[in-house]
Amino acid sequence: MKSLLTTILFFTTVFIQAQITISGVVTEPSGVPIPGANIYLEGTYDGASSTDDGTFSFTTSETGEQTLVVSFLSFDTYLLTASVTEMKNLKIALKEDVNSLGSVILNAGTFSAGDNSKTSVLTPLDIVTTAGAAGDYIGAFQTLPGTSTVAEDGRLFVRGGDANEANVYIDGLRVFQPFSATANNIPTRGRFSPFLFKGTNFSTGGYSAEYGDALSSVLLLNTIDEPEQEKTDLSFISVGLGVGNTQKWKKNSLSINAFYLNLKPYQELISQRVDWIKPFESFSGEAVYRHQFNNGLFKLYGGLNYTDFELIQEDINVAEGINFGLKNRNLYLNASYKGDLGNDWTLTTGASFANDHNDIKIIETNVDNDDNAAHLKVKLRKRFSNRFKLSFGAEQFIGDFKEEATDNSFGSFQSGFNNNSTAAFSEASIFFNKKLAMQVGIRATHNVLLDFTKVSPRASLAYKIASTSQISLAYGDFYQAPQQEVLKYNNSLDPEKSSHYILNYLYQNNGRTLRAEGYYKSYDRLVKFDTERPEFGSAYNSNGDGYAAGLDLYWRDNKSIKNFEYWASYSYLDTKRNYRNYPERATPNFAAKHNLSLVGKYWAQDWKSLISATYNFASGRPYNDPNTNTFLGKKTRTFNSLNMSWAYLISQQKILFVSVSNVLGFDNVFNYQYANTPNVNGNFARRAIRPTADRFFIVGFFWTISDNKKDNQLDNL
Amino acid sequence: MKTIIIILSFFTITTATSQAAYEKGMGKAFELWGNQKNDEAANLFERIGKAEKENWLPYYYAAQIHIVKTFNTKDAEEIESRLVKAQNYLNEAKTFSKDNAEIMIMEAMLNTAYVVYDGAKYGMTHSGKVEELYQKAKTLEPENPRAILYHADWQMGAAKFWGKDPKAFCPEIEKAILYFEKESPTTPFYPDWGKDQVARIQQNCK
Repeated sequence: MKSLLTTILFFTTVFIQAQITISGVVTEPSGVPIPGANIYLEGTYDGASSTDDGTFSFTTSETGEQTLVVSFLSFDTYLLTASVTEMKNLKIALKEDVNSLGSVILNAGTFSAGDNSKTSVLTPLDIVTTAGAAGDYIGAFQTLPGTSTVAEDGRLFVRGGDANEANVYIDGLRVFQPFSATANNIPTRGRFSPFLFKGTNFSTGGYSAEYGDALSSVLLLNTIDEPEQEKTDLSFISVGLGVGNTQKWKKNSLSINAFYLNLKPYQELISQRVDWIKPFESFSGEAVYRHQFNNGLFKLYGGLNYTDFELIQEDINVAEGINFGLKNRNLYLNASYKGDLGNDWTLTTGASFANDHNDIKIIETNVDNDDNAAHLKVKLRKRFSNRFKLSFGAEQFIGDFKEEATDNSFGSFQSGFNNNSTAAFSEASIFFNKKLAMQVGIRATHNVLLDFTKVSPRASLAYKIASTSQISLAYGDFYQAPQQEVLKYNNSLDPEKSSHYILNYLYQNNGRTLRAEGYYKSYDRLVKFDTERPEFGSAYNSNGDGYAAGLDLYWRDNKSIKNFEYWASYSYLDTKRNYRNYPERATPNFAAKHNLSLVGKYWAQDWKSLISATYNFASGRPYNDPNTNTFLGKKTRTFNSLNMSWAYLISQQKILFVSVSNVLGFDNVFNYQYANTPNVNGNFARRAIRPTADRFFIVGFFWTISDNKKDNQLDNL
Repeated sequence: MKTIIIILSFFTITTATSQAAYEKGMGKAFELWGNQKNDEAANLFERIGKAEKENWLPYYYAAQIHIVKTFNTKDAEEIESRLVKAQNYLNEAKTFSKDNAEIMIMEAMLNTAYVVYDGAKYGMTHSGKVEELYQKAKTLEPENPRAILYHADWQMGAAKFWGKDPKAFCPEIEKAILYFEKESPTTPFYPDWGKDQVARIQQNCK
């Protein structure tokens, strides 16, 4: 009897419990009610969805202290820990999730491309299907505003800065020689194959405190975290052969890629303005190994590149031309680790190492140089909330350069230097709400060789003015050590300095993007010397300066015409500088006032073809005519080029690709070289610096072999 | 002895009531879903998932609701928010049930949703993932009718895009129909959906 009573008592206590009603209203910060939010006591079945007027009410038999959870799409989850008896007539204002698509973005100065981020201006396919880029990862970026068309060089010239002012990083670590070795006036290419990379950030100014030693620009490349599938890629191109393979096993994956380039057969068919003795030949191999740990990812990238060529360079002062030969070997290693430390701490660390060896022959002079460089970096990031994140870190650069020049006339001459520097940086990003965000950072650098310590502040601010548009501002100071060509003769110079002021307007609406950016950039402490090129015994100083101001416009439309995407970039550039051996401030040869790129891509469904065209225009570039009194006072004719490419998909995994640059055969002139001495009439004779050939043709066949038969190499073209 | 019996019976009763609460909750969620109250249903699945712990099914269905919802939504912000939410639910589900073919099929559908929503942006990165997930699911469960049916659906879409004959995959649909007949889930609320899509997909075979 007693036990029966106990049992009954038990049942009653289990089943008859006091029911408490929890109620309230859920709103946006502005007070607008949120219907459909999920409100519940954590760990129980007790909960409800808010009604159309944002109110909710439900009963619970829980007692004591409980956690109430309120969650809704595009808003931060709200937690309230209190006694259930106090959870009555609650007024809950959810905060907007600042990571959602409609939020403001800190984008002044930056283009992101190839990833799925909100700010992406180029899709992964664009980077590689842009006509004229010819598979060069850098090529597509040259169609973005802020860059100058310097077709005889191939590197990035950003906002009045020369090519040395732009640095390239892979997975946050410096790439010391991102471009293939080449001769004067023969365009170079990026060393990296496009298919090893995913997202890219291209900053034309005002970039993060994490990056230094660049006056104008940083290009940040990220290798793929996890390849989608195992496959083999074969490429047969009119100028070379390539093979790539990806393997995945357990938590590892390995991608390798090799390419052999030989321009000899091509140059025998198509006449060149350059007299090649040994046409351009190069071999490059790359590999990426990835290992997934429980809380992190390790990536190891290695690239080996060998280039060999010899030619006679035309020269106005040397009738028979200058014999120039080059053998370059470049090894680049990059190891990085990114992992969660728990408690919203993230660790990013890694090291890169480069060994670059050149064996150069200029007429009778032999130059052998060896450049070893390393970069070590560690960065910690703490996410306090979606709205406040702090990152800080330190890095060390180690550089060791040695060169030996031998010539019958002067025997042997050795030069070299060790360029070591240490930097520390810290940056905070703060989202006040979905409309207003800012990032402030500071960077300090100490350079041992030049014995300087510099502190550079960086800041950016963004404000959303309407659902489809925003404005942002950025400011930053940037320091860069002088280049190798100077450091090997002089190490008592100051670092060069630039300051950026940027105002950006962004409009994004349903597949259409308009981006307008105005900027002013000042240059200070630029290196000057009193000879045509830096030489041993030249007089050096850091008294150069200059400025660049301009407007960059970018318009993209993916929606108006079916299967047709296009973008237009226009850059206006006003720049003058007094540097190197300039007698006064002048606009350098690489800086054209107006640059325009029009890129269009049409997907012809019936033909299974992607047809792409790029038109580039640049106004005349300044050149120096010694027959006049004004330094760099003349201008070349305008630059025009129309490039076309056609990718035909024979089947899902076989692609035929044809590309022609400068289809219309515009006769472009980049610059003029004048004689050192006047002729009998008292005039300085000149020769035009022109492309090595007016057109460049590529025919290729790309074949992907994979189990699922879906993938193809459209992303490699 | 008596006390032991009492304690034992107490435990049985409480587990029985929690099982009943689970079944009642899931039943209610499916009812809401059936009445087109999608967000309320997803909310309830989320609550059940949070309360149950160790059970992948509530999260799985919460994800499915959000994924299906994006197929007839135009607003980009809403689509991205829903897909991110769905991925989070599936990540939760995966921590409770590793190498689960049904979750892989759902994840394949999630990736398909990205491709459908913005092919230029997500086509290249997500298509390979879809294929890989279906293949993995089929390796784990060769007789899973959803894996076979939806993989065929995906492949037919690709075949049409490439100007190939989608009929090549029609035998797969027949196979799926057969396995739908054979399907007899033992766990309550175990996924058994998809049969009603056979007719739509078979349109390609006419």
